[in-house]
Amino acid sequence: MDADSDVALDILITNVVCVFRTRCHLNLRKIALEGANVIYKRDVGKVLMKLRKPRITATIWSSGKVICTGATSEEEAKLGARRLARSLQKLGFQVIFTDFKVVNVLAVCNMPFEIRLPEFTKNNRPHASYEPELHPAVCYRIKSLKATLQIFSTGSITVTGPNVKAVASAVEQIYPFVFESRKQIL
Amino acid sequence: MASTSRLDVLPRVTCPNHPDSILVEDYRAGDMICPECGLVVGDRVIDVGSEWRTFSNDKATKDPSRVGDTQNPLLNDGDLTTMIGKGTGAASFDEFGNSKYQNRRTMSSSDRAMMNAFKEITNMADRINLPRNIVDRTNNLFKQVYEQKSLKGRSNDAIASACLYIACRQEGVPRTFKEICAVSRISKKEIGRCFKLILKALETSVDLITTGDFMSRFCSNLGLPKQVQMAATHIARKAVELDLVPGRSPISVAAAAIYMASQASAEKRTQKEIGDIAGVADVTIRQSYRLIYPRAPDLFTADFKFDTPVDKLPQL
Repeated sequence: MDADSDVALDILITNVVCVFRTRCHLNLRKIALEGANVIYKRDVGKVLMKLRKPRITATIWSSGKVICTGATSEEEAKLGARRLARSLQKLGFQVIFTDFKVVNVLAVCNMPFEIRLPEFTKNNRPHASYEPELHPAVCYRIKSLKATLQIFSTGSITVTGPNVKAVASAVEQIYPFVFESRKQIL
Repeated sequence: MASTSRLDVLPRVTCPNHPDSILVEDYRAGDMICPECGLVVGDRVIDVGSEWRTFSNDKATKDPSRVGDTQNPLLNDGDLTTMIGKGTGAASFDEFGNSKYQNRRTMSSSDRAMMNAFKEITNMADRINLPRNIVDRTNNLFKQVYEQKSLKGRSNDAIASACLYIACRQEGVPRTFKEICAVSRISKKEIGRCFKLILKALETSVDLITTGDFMSRFCSNLGLPKQVQMAATHIARKAVELDLVPGRSPISVAAAAIYMASQASAEKRTQKEIGDIAGVADVTIRQSYRLIYPRAPDLFTADFKFDTPVDKLPQL
């Protein structure tokens, strides 16, 4: 029962979340009035700015911290964050692009076989948790990589982790276990 | 004759002739007696026996030798508090008709929240007629979680409900989240969250639920005879073995199996009725039923008496 090499599996990164600081206080009202493509959430105290080019949504706080979501790769995330900082600079703020960090990466992977979830949970007791009443997927946590995988019975796997490398190695790690509990087509 | 069992056995007196001998206490007479020579060494020792005699044919409700409520040492660490009870005579009420000494005195403030939770757990368990052993297990789980303090911010009722759910699972008689929801004021989402947190905090895990766990309860609630229940159990088990219903919750599969079995027998039940009892939407039953319908002949046992033959089963 040799496990296939994962060269054939393509991992699709659907979302990269990153944060950065502008090192200056931002006047949200000014951004809301003069910025393009912005939504001002006054009750919470933040501005949402959407960019078209790398399709990105940024949440801007008045303290100068910005959270950037929607990018499809780490480079794109950095590019989008820089573009955003530039547009804030054009509005007149003394922006310094610091502390850029990728916080979360969400990826999807499809196995070419279906998976038997009860069997999989029994074999991977402490790491896997399956509650069919609450969620139809098995939640498998890899502590060392700080990654969480959601394994569905159709064979599709959703991985979230701190960076793209962790996500890739998480998929590599899980492949043999999932391969064991696959549904054989008769 | 009672003998002392404390470690600091020699109080302050010893027998002059036998300084090493351990004195025996005679509580009736209030004496300390040396067992070697019989000398009465201590005198006027306080009697710790009953204040008055009790006879076995007296009313069992009032036991005059008891001086407190039943202790719950496993769960409370103590319970040595004094409360002022409600007055009985006329003198206990002041001018306006209010009772004097209104305040019953706060009791065991450190465990007040815990005692409240135990009361809530007993109430919830009562509503679904759970036996005492499950309630005790729930109380123990709650105590462990409470002492750990890792879930301190969560509502106590939510933690209690989740503990009840875990206890039922651990005892081998799982209740669905919806059933626990029905007797608790907490939403299913919150109970589910607390459930996961508690498993993490106590570092335990629970077995997976199977379709068979719920069959007897659902079938009795629907008033189905034993043969239908056995048939439904068999159908559900077979369906899971053949993996006809991947990714479906065992409750939905059980409900669909009950539907199929009841429709094949004389005691037919509608999807709505089954959905009501199981807490499953009737479209969900329909979906699961559609998955098991094609293999219907294989799922029934060989010796099942069909009121409606297999090919005439409703097709939804």
